[in-house]
Amino acid sequence: MIRYLLAALIAVCPFTASAETAVAGTHGPDRIAMAMFALIVMATFVITWRAAGKTRSKTDFYSAGNAITPLQNGLAIAGDFLSAAAFLGISALVYANGFDGLLYAIGFLTGWPIVLFLMSERMRNLGSYTFADAAAFRLDRTPIRLVAATGSLVVVLFYLIAQMIGAGKVIELLFGVNYLFAVAGVGVLMILYVTVGGMQATTWVQITKAALLLCGGTLLALAVLWHFDFSLGKLFAAASAIHPKGAAILAPGGLFSEPISAISLGMALVFGTAGLPHILMRFFTVKDAAGARKSVFYATSCVAYFCLVIPLLGFGATAILMSDSSYFHVGASGQFNKIVYLIGGPNMAAIHLAHAMGGPVLLGFISAVAFATILAVVAGLTLAGASAVSHDIYGQVIARGQAAETREVWVSKMAALAIGISAVLLAYAFENQNVAFMAGLALSVAASCNFPVLVMAMFWRGTTTRGAVAGGLTGLVASVVLVVLSKTVWVAVFHFSAAIFPYENPALFSMPLAFLFVWLFSATDRSARALREHMAFDAQFVQSEIGAAHATNSLTLVSAAS
Amino acid sequence: MPSLAVDRTRQILADPAFRELASSRARLRWGLSIATLIMFFGFIALISAAKGALGATIAGDMPLGLVLALGVIVLVVILTGFYVQRSNARFDDVARTLNRRFGQ
Repeated sequence: MIRYLLAALIAVCPFTASAETAVAGTHGPDRIAMAMFALIVMATFVITWRAAGKTRSKTDFYSAGNAITPLQNGLAIAGDFLSAAAFLGISALVYANGFDGLLYAIGFLTGWPIVLFLMSERMRNLGSYTFADAAAFRLDRTPIRLVAATGSLVVVLFYLIAQMIGAGKVIELLFGVNYLFAVAGVGVLMILYVTVGGMQATTWVQITKAALLLCGGTLLALAVLWHFDFSLGKLFAAASAIHPKGAAILAPGGLFSEPISAISLGMALVFGTAGLPHILMRFFTVKDAAGARKSVFYATSCVAYFCLVIPLLGFGATAILMSDSSYFHVGASGQFNKIVYLIGGPNMAAIHLAHAMGGPVLLGFISAVAFATILAVVAGLTLAGASAVSHDIYGQVIARGQAAETREVWVSKMAALAIGISAVLLAYAFENQNVAFMAGLALSVAASCNFPVLVMAMFWRGTTTRGAVAGGLTGLVASVVLVVLSKTVWVAVFHFSAAIFPYENPALFSMPLAFLFVWLFSATDRSARALREHMAFDAQFVQSEIGAAHATNSLTLVSAAS
Repeated sequence: MPSLAVDRTRQILADPAFRELASSRARLRWGLSIATLIMFFGFIALISAAKGALGATIAGDMPLGLVLALGVIVLVVILTGFYVQRSNARFDDVARTLNRRFGQ
């Protein structure tokens, strides 16, 4: 039923828009954007309402009853992952810097094979609701869950605040509403999806968003290609003829000229993706490890396709917008900076391109797509944060696995409410702060805390609770401290004259440090608990390889081995 | 009962089919992971080492750097596709058989 609604929604979108313009030709682009935006919000309400009826048990709430198909899950993962920062931000980077922007997209994409090879199958075989399940499989529940939940919450909060501030700014620009109102509106919607519809609603919001984003991106890219007679050569020639940097935009530029910074950023992008709690959580929504594997393949294909579309939009925006002064704040002298004077900043490049290519109708559609993009990502983050609180901290640590299902789900809903409200308040408080460091910090913590703990617990027999806790906390603290000492916080926020840590991203240092500490504190651990944990690796290994039928015996196996 | 479970774990670990499954999957997993990382970080290294050369155009009007970037994107999809295809064709059957044989 939902599927039909979605299909209908996608089919109807462009037609409603043209009807709107036909009836009221004088209506500005805002009206059309508003109408499509209202349509999307209504569709998500229908999704949430239908999902609410299906969400009864804990498994329904956290993982949609394991009943999502691999293709649906692949789309939902892509929906979770491709944020407004990816859509508007990377097209803006290509618009402003050309080739260098594309490197970000490739970094994001390269995380996916690593997720597939190292994470998806074992995670699905060992866990059931959150990634901490797999990390704590044979290790001591309380400390491991606390470290994993802390890592998850730090990642979720920083990512969420960065997304919310971006969302507030974009919505303020697109629909002309007040910033606080925009942020609060997004907050209310995401809390509603998560508390009422749980994973089921969140998944379908993400699928809707992924479909809209892929269609919108394709439409816009086709319009650009059509404009240049489907010749990439003509597009590149036009872009480099008008860009202030000229033909240099087609070659690597200054953004990655310093190898240590480039490698550090690359590590954060690649391994951070493999440690994002809201992405890892999605592997539990499918039936088995084979389903998890296939969903990563579908997700990778979507992200890769997106990586091909985004540069077209960026170069297209350069070629088409830079020659038209109506998209810029033009100074009294008639001169304008072709990058920073773009109305709304370079992040609006894709949105302006939509207007240039298809007038108010396409502008409305792409604006609505950007809005849906924001909603899906923040909903996924909120659910992941709420699950870390309710399943890992409340259910497993406080109630020691004895919590009643309804009580745990209630805690999760309250946690979602609390996370949502804090995100809105923090996004409001930080409105005019420089928050460029937040998304980078979230990825670094994911790469330096969640990823090492999970990989070592799943793959190395020698890992002990002491080692995993020491390594995880070291990675977490090192990332935060190094980011604070780097230019993005030390200079941009605290206004010191020079940064103490010379690189922008800490992953190159914090991630190996975390691995080193896991190894060091495990190898020197001679406790009886460490011995039990070594012995329990066999049972974990068997279940991580062949999973399924074994799952029911896992507890007996672990307790037997101890 | 617990000793039965431990015995079964030992039996599975000693089973030739399981050992073959685990070792060939590990080879595929780590081999492809290393290939992916070499490809990505090699690309970054190439960019910081030979920036100028990547601006050259090939095949008429395509800049070399962009062609290579395109190649990386396509390779990522091929690598994931290869892993999934291998797993579906080879490992799933073995895992299912083992589960049937040792399951209750």
